[in-house]
Amino acid sequence: MQQAGRARAVPYLFLLPALAAFALFYLWPALNTILSSFFRWSVLSPWTVVDPGRWQFVGLGNYLEVLGDGRFWNAVRNTLIWLVIFPIVTTAFSLAVAVLVWETARAARIFRTVFVLPMTVSLTAAGVLWALVYNPDFGALSAAIGVVGLDGARLDLGPLHLRLGEWLSDVGSLSLGITQIPLVNLTVIAPAFWALTGFGVISFTAGLTALNPELVEAARVEGANAFQVVRHIVVPSLRPAMVIVAVVFVIYALRTFDVVWVTTNGGPGTDTEVVAIPPCCSAG
Amino acid sequence: MARPRWLGTAAIYAVLTLLSIVWLVPVMTVVMTAVRPFAEIREGWWNLAGASLTLDNFGRAWQEAGLAGKTMNSLIITGFSVASTVAVGALAAYAFTRMRFRGRGLLYFLLITTMIVPVQIILIPLLPWFRALGFSEGSWQPFLGMVLVHTGFGLGWAVFMLGGFFASVPRELTEAGQVDGAGHLDEFRRIVLPLALPGIVSFAIIDFVFVWNDLLLGLTLLDQEHQPLTVGIANLQSAHLARQDVISAGALLAILPPLVLFVVLNRFYVRGLFAGSVK
Repeated sequence: MQQAGRARAVPYLFLLPALAAFALFYLWPALNTILSSFFRWSVLSPWTVVDPGRWQFVGLGNYLEVLGDGRFWNAVRNTLIWLVIFPIVTTAFSLAVAVLVWETARAARIFRTVFVLPMTVSLTAAGVLWALVYNPDFGALSAAIGVVGLDGARLDLGPLHLRLGEWLSDVGSLSLGITQIPLVNLTVIAPAFWALTGFGVISFTAGLTALNPELVEAARVEGANAFQVVRHIVVPSLRPAMVIVAVVFVIYALRTFDVVWVTTNGGPGTDTEVVAIPPCCSAG
Repeated sequence: MARPRWLGTAAIYAVLTLLSIVWLVPVMTVVMTAVRPFAEIREGWWNLAGASLTLDNFGRAWQEAGLAGKTMNSLIITGFSVASTVAVGALAAYAFTRMRFRGRGLLYFLLITTMIVPVQIILIPLLPWFRALGFSEGSWQPFLGMVLVHTGFGLGWAVFMLGGFFASVPRELTEAGQVDGAGHLDEFRRIVLPLALPGIVSFAIIDFVFVWNDLLLGLTLLDQEHQPLTVGIANLQSAHLARQDVISAGALLAILPPLVLFVVLNRFYVRGLFAGSVK
């Protein structure tokens, strides 16, 4: 009987360290976040769960305050830009790169390495690298645009106002009726796009390796062209990988603040501020 | 079949070569800015006429900008965090893949959520909590606190990935061991761990990159003396607006360790990502 009791405890002993770390540094703070959101507190009189005497219950007051704050909605808009642009563009692009690299049997390893390497670069460093590329005085982007005579070019096309040159302050805007989209958000997204494309490439390459070559060969024999093979055989077989890659990118879009902080610090003004910028680091 | 096959292949090579060049531009920029005197860079780093090499920028980043200490901090935090996450995560992953017990599904689900939920959710209460536990002062205490927080956050990935590798160790092997009278701990140490070693290494590399590259936790939880390299770089970026040479040297320092690890252990790394993405 005691033997059985001990045997039953064994799994929990294996789990004990994990559950302790999880409870102390994740669950407990998370519960505190939820609880404290219903109380009034500030930096000077912080909310504490162990001192009910100081609790000041405000119900949904904090939520209503945030919902009435224009700056919050500005950050929500920018986060939505991230959420729409980043996962879709990065997933589609890395899928295209993975398929193209797959077609080049001989140089595949070299190409793949080029796209995968930036994955090891932190988004902080990626932001630093791209700030150099974006530098209006000696950055490669302005120089490249200058070669075709477009540096400092302005383009006004209906709702679209494009400004080339000041890549991290004024890139123009796109009017959508209800809101103006500052295009500088796109130049802030680019470093993350550059760094994380590798994740998609690796994932899709894994899917492509698992693809049955006989199926592709059979389709070719039947007279399918390269585009049809990709469209009807390759892409469908990569659907599970696409879901995972897209989900990972959505998570990144939601939590990323490093790039924003390093490149523009949420600016100019609050044009690139996102919801995930922690209280310590917003431009104020 | 009007179009010859080689034309398509040539087009693919052309597109990929062009994209590769674009992909390498940021890296070239940072390397060139770091190893050349700043005066030369003002004409554009691609301008190689009369180019000279210098290590001054690294010296300045290392000493004046204080990145030497921050590099040490990053090494300490990352080394111990990875060791701790692997140890704690391996035990848990073993329990989840090899044992049946009450609450298994719920506990697994809870741990997995750490993969998805952004750190920001817990950041504000974490700071006073960190202080209350005594991790905000002292010489080694902040490191310990940071290692524990990283362990808590790496657990989801650890359980998910290591669980996948453990599950691929044939059950017959472990059942034979149990008949022999070996306990779970023996089985874990003698059979599952050695057989899943490649998987463990690949997870360790991924966790290394993850912890090394963290900015948010280091920035919020740690004081100046304990902050990691990422925080040092980010501060340089906002403080020295015109010191791109020093910042570049610093950024290279920050990029190198995960990059070297990646190149040396490339096979493991890729395998780990495959395991994470295919399932």
